[in-house]
Order: sequence, then C-alpha cells, then structure tokens
Amino acid sequence: MIRKFFDIVANNAVPAIFILISAFAIPLSGFSASYLVQELLTRIGRNSFLILSLLIPIMAGMGLNFGMVLGAMAGQIGLLFICDWGVVGIPGMVLACLIGTPIAIVLGIFCGHILNRAKGREMVTSYILGFFINGVYQMVVLYLMGWVIPITNPTLLLSRGYGVRNAVSLMGIRGVLDNLLPTVIAGTEGAKQFLNVNGANTYLLLQIPCLDGAIRLPLATFIIIALFCAFIIWFRKTKLGQDMRAIGQDQGVSHSSGIPVNRTRIIAIVISTVLACYGQIIYLQNMGTLNTYNSHDQAGMFSIAALLIGGASVSRASIANVFVGVILFHLMFIVAPMAGKNLIGEAQIGEYFRVFVSYGIIALALVLHAWKRNREREAARRSMRGDK
Amino acid sequence: MFVAFLKFLMRWFQRLVLVAALIALGIWLFYIGREHQIFLDNKTFGDFKALEQVNVSINNGETVELMPRERDMKKVVGPKFEIKAEVFDDKGEISNTITKTINLCFSKDIMINLPAFAGGAENFIVPSPK
Repeated sequence: MIRKFFDIVANNAVPAIFILISAFAIPLSGFSASYLVQELLTRIGRNSFLILSLLIPIMAGMGLNFGMVLGAMAGQIGLLFICDWGVVGIPGMVLACLIGTPIAIVLGIFCGHILNRAKGREMVTSYILGFFINGVYQMVVLYLMGWVIPITNPTLLLSRGYGVRNAVSLMGIRGVLDNLLPTVIAGTEGAKQFLNVNGANTYLLLQIPCLDGAIRLPLATFIIIALFCAFIIWFRKTKLGQDMRAIGQDQGVSHSSGIPVNRTRIIAIVISTVLACYGQIIYLQNMGTLNTYNSHDQAGMFSIAALLIGGASVSRASIANVFVGVILFHLMFIVAPMAGKNLIGEAQIGEYFRVFVSYGIIALALVLHAWKRNREREAARRSMRGDK
Repeated sequence: MFVAFLKFLMRWFQRLVLVAALIALGIWLFYIGREHQIFLDNKTFGDFKALEQVNVSINNGETVELMPRERDMKKVVGPKFEIKAEVFDDKGEISNTITKTINLCFSKDIMINLPAFAGGAENFIVPSPK
C-alpha cells in the first residue's frame, strides 16, 4: 500500500509540484482568466511542435534528445536564406522548411551515428554534440555567410561585410501560420468590441456567451500540431514504430529478433531533428525575430523542461505529457514575474524563482528517473534470487 | 541478380524524382513568395517630362500621390502586379488613366519611371536605386 502510494507520488511528483506552485502563483499574479488563456494558447501553438519532436527518440529508448538544437539550427539557416531572398508569407515558411530539411537530415544522421557509439549515454552525448555543432553553426553564420555563402541583403550582414547580425527581423513571415485561419473566441460583449475594432470579415468568430473578453486562436498552427499528433499515433503502429518501441524496451532482444538496431536509432534521431527544424521555424514565425546566435540554444532546454514538467520521464513520454507540460511550464513563465512583484514588490524575484524552479525540476526529474531505475534493477535482482 | 540491379536502379530513380520535385517546389515557392520593392519615380526621363501630379495604386491598394521629382516605394509579393496610374493635368482633373500588369519574373526590385509609363514608352522600367 505504502509502496503503491510512493509509486504514484514518484510518477507524478513533478507535475504535482508545478500545479501546487501555480495554484499559489495565479491568484497572486492578479491576471484575468481570459488573459491567461490567451497567453497559454499562443504559447501552446508556439512550443508544442518542438516538444512533440522529442517523443520519437524517447520511444526508441534514446532518452531526451538534447541534439534537437541541431534541427533548430537547420531551421534557422533556412530562415536566414529566405530573409536574404525576400521570400515572405506561407511560401517563405515552407521554403525555409525545404532548405532546412536536408541540413537537418545530414545533422541527424551525424548525430545518430555518434549516439550509436555512445549507447547508454545518449543524453549527455547529444547535449555536448549540440555545443559542438553550435560552434560549426557559428563559424558558418559568423564567417562564411556573406563571404563564401552569398548573402546580398545588407540589412542581414554585419557592417564589416560578412557574418550575419545578431538580431534578424522576420517581419515577412511573422505570424503567417498563426493568422492563416484567423479565429476569435469571444463572449457576447467581447465579440461586439472585437468586431468594432477589427471588422467582421477578417475573423472566424466563435461565441461563448459566458466568456469575458476576446481570445485569438492560432487555428492553423493548432491544426498542424493536431496532424503531427495524429502522425505520432499512426507512426507508433507502423513496423518502424514497433521496432523503435522494441529497441526502447531491450536492444539485445531486438537485435536477436532481427531488428536493425543501429539503423532504427539513426532514423529516430533523423525524424526528431527534422521535426525540430520545423518546430523552430514555427516557433520563430510566432516570435517574429531571430536571435541568430542564441535562439536555438534554449530550444532544447525549454522543450525538455516542459516535457519533464508534463510528467514524462527519460524512458516514457506521451502526447498528453507534452500538452500538460507546455501549459504548466508556460503558466509559470506568465504568472511568476507578476506574482513575485505583487508578493515582494520585485518582478525580478519572481523570474529568478521561476528559473530556479523550472531548471531544478529537470534535475529532480532526472534524479527521480535514476532512483526509479535503480530500484527496478534492485527489484529484478531480488526476484532472480527468489527474495521478496 | 538482374532483378536486384533493376530494383536498385528503380529506388535511385525514385529518389532522384523526389529530390527534383522538391527542388522544383522550392523554385516555385521562391517565384510566388518573393517580395519586390517597386520604386515609383516621377522625374523627367529623356523626352518625357515629370508629371504635374500622378496618383498610383498597385494591386488596387493604397493610392500614392506623386508630384514632380518625387519618388515613393511600394512592396508587392509574387511575380505579377497590376499598376494603375491616374495622370492629372494643370487644372487638377484626370487626363489619362493607365492600367497595366507587369511581370517581374525572378527579378528583385524595379523602378518605374511614371512619365515614361504614362507616355506609353516601352522602356519605362529603369534600374532601381541601390
């Protein structure tokens, strides 16, 4: 009984802590419900794709793919090219994906080969690999672009004539996916106010009488995310998906039963890297600004933190974990500074607290995972000895 | 052996077709999604004198009013755009309205000399400023 209770606590400790903190922080922040829902919907649309890209390597037993920053870099290179060529709108976004895809595939194959040589230590290896490829990326963007790789747009280049500026405006593709099917959910009063300001023809209006204010819904982004979720569900049922799950359970047994373990692991990483490339493009079209040398850095850490906060572990993650994680993680992002300001009079304290809790949670999730794995091993050993 | 070779060839052929299709898609996206700067220039050009006043709209968008020796810029997306110029005489009445569809193809930015455009010249597109 006690053991079962401990199991439930251990399995749900991270989301439970976050729900508890949020329950205190939301009233302290003083934000209205419609504001919080609006912010959360925007952030779900912005981040979910990136986080979903982590699921396939977990399925293949490769842990949390810190190497997803490689895909993010590929996406950013695609975005830099479309900015240079002046391709805007949805064609620009799709073209950035097309340019990023081969780069992400090559980086994914490279990453997969390296991870196959570091079995059992995939997470730390992919984390360090991210730093290594970041160096290569910086060399390409800082020295080769504008010198070896032709970049003609002077607004992209540093004043010395080569190398890309630190901040690149993505005005040409800003919000193009989010506003492709402009939708608003509003109460009766909110709908009237919204229509007065924005006109009747531009938005699909869904009325919920009890709702206060108006909430913009990035419908097209949500459709893409829903399609991606459907892809993951379908993929799990395919031969390749089943192979990955088998490899995730036991590599030795999978190899003995004729599954090409190394090749399947490489495919898992390639899929994850390519999807991370698309995820980063979706993320940046929402932000509207590309921080050339830093945007990708945080992509991996934020996505992994959100997934872990959603209740996933290194070896087990589901689509539900992604959405619970992104809601809880970003709820903290929204409410923590204001809660800190209202509580102590200093918004920065709330932000420090959020950073401390968010990244402490990654450590906690990893420690819990290691503890659980050791306990399971111990239990397996005991059962082999015939002990209770 | 021969069948295996044929299968190998077929697989590579399929891959090549896929890559070619993706490149073609990329070129098409570049073609339809490129943003162009259209400079509208109301300066004397050869025999064509600067116009007293000309109102220009591109793709039925916002109208730009240009007086002599003035220049403005509009952005368009895609390979084609429609330009409509209303030329005013000394009395301030519309003397001539010209509508034309211009195909930019793969070029980036262009400058339209409005006196030449209104005068019916063939070479009304001049090099755009750097």
